Amino acid sequence: MCASMFVLLAALGLAFDLGRIYIAHNEGQVFADAASMAAAQQFDGSPDGLIRASAAARNLPGRWNMAAESFKNIRVDFSKDGSRWEQDWRLLTGDAAAIHLARVKVEGNNLDITFLRAVGGPTSFEVPAQAVAAANPVRLLE
Amino acid sequence: MSVFHRRRERGHAMLELAVCAGVMLVLLSGTFQFGYIFYLYNQLVTAVGNGARYAAQRTYRAAAKQDVELGTAAIRNMVVYGDPRPATGARPVVPNLSPEQIEVNWVKQGDGAPSAVELAVRRYAINAVFRSFTFDRRPAVQFPYVGRYAPAEREP
Repeated sequence: MCASMFVLLAALGLAFDLGRIYIAHNEGQVFADAASMAAAQQFDGSPDGLIRASAAARNLPGRWNMAAESFKNIRVDFSKDGSRWEQDWRLLTGDAAAIHLARVKVEGNNLDITFLRAVGGPTSFEVPAQAVAAANPVRLLE
Repeated sequence: MSVFHRRRERGHAMLELAVCAGVMLVLLSGTFQFGYIFYLYNQLVTAVGNGARYAAQRTYRAAAKQDVELGTAAIRNMVVYGDPRPATGARPVVPNLSPEQIEVNWVKQGDGAPSAVELAVRRYAINAVFRSFTFDRRPAVQFPYVGRYAPAEREP
């Protein structure tokens, strides 16, 4: 009886919790794609353009956890060529026009685990997502 | 062991089976329901994301109202069939999803040029055998518009 309940809870946990994790990951990825494009769209070669890029990504409306929660921790990094990333572009170069790439990381999406915790699984699971977009023309790279 | 004891044990076993079967049936039907709903919702998120990416990069032709409607129809087809011009008899990527259920809203600037596009699924019902669930205005997604604005062009 105990063994079969354990197996049933594990199966329920796999269907319920893993299903939610997959959805949250997918929602995060779609949002990261949109936010990175919104950031890259603001690049105009000026320092103000990069400030607007960060704001555009952070202010983009988006929801996750089956549209129940808003995205909170959105990190925007910049790069000249994709080899080194910084939130503060001035650590990379003195010329804002040299920045061509925007990377958006969606962090802190912690999903509460409902059933898998009963069979020894974690109590919560972080579902991160990230995307990189380039400017001129604006396009997704990864 | 007497006949009386054997009968009593058999009765206990049947009672246990009845209780366990009830609990297992509830758990199994719940597993199926949630698994199926989550599977379809995930498909919807993917479909809406693909459609929004397509809409964000597509040329916005607006010579006439009809051109805007044709563009919107292509976006809806992209969400539903994964193809802006689906073949006759094409099957939707998510069961029972129709183009009419896809809401496309353009966020526009003062000159009429689009700055963003919002896509959402309206009133999508999932029949999970034991119960039906309806999602309205979710999943929804907004993408910045990065395509070419062509106010004088006609849709081909």
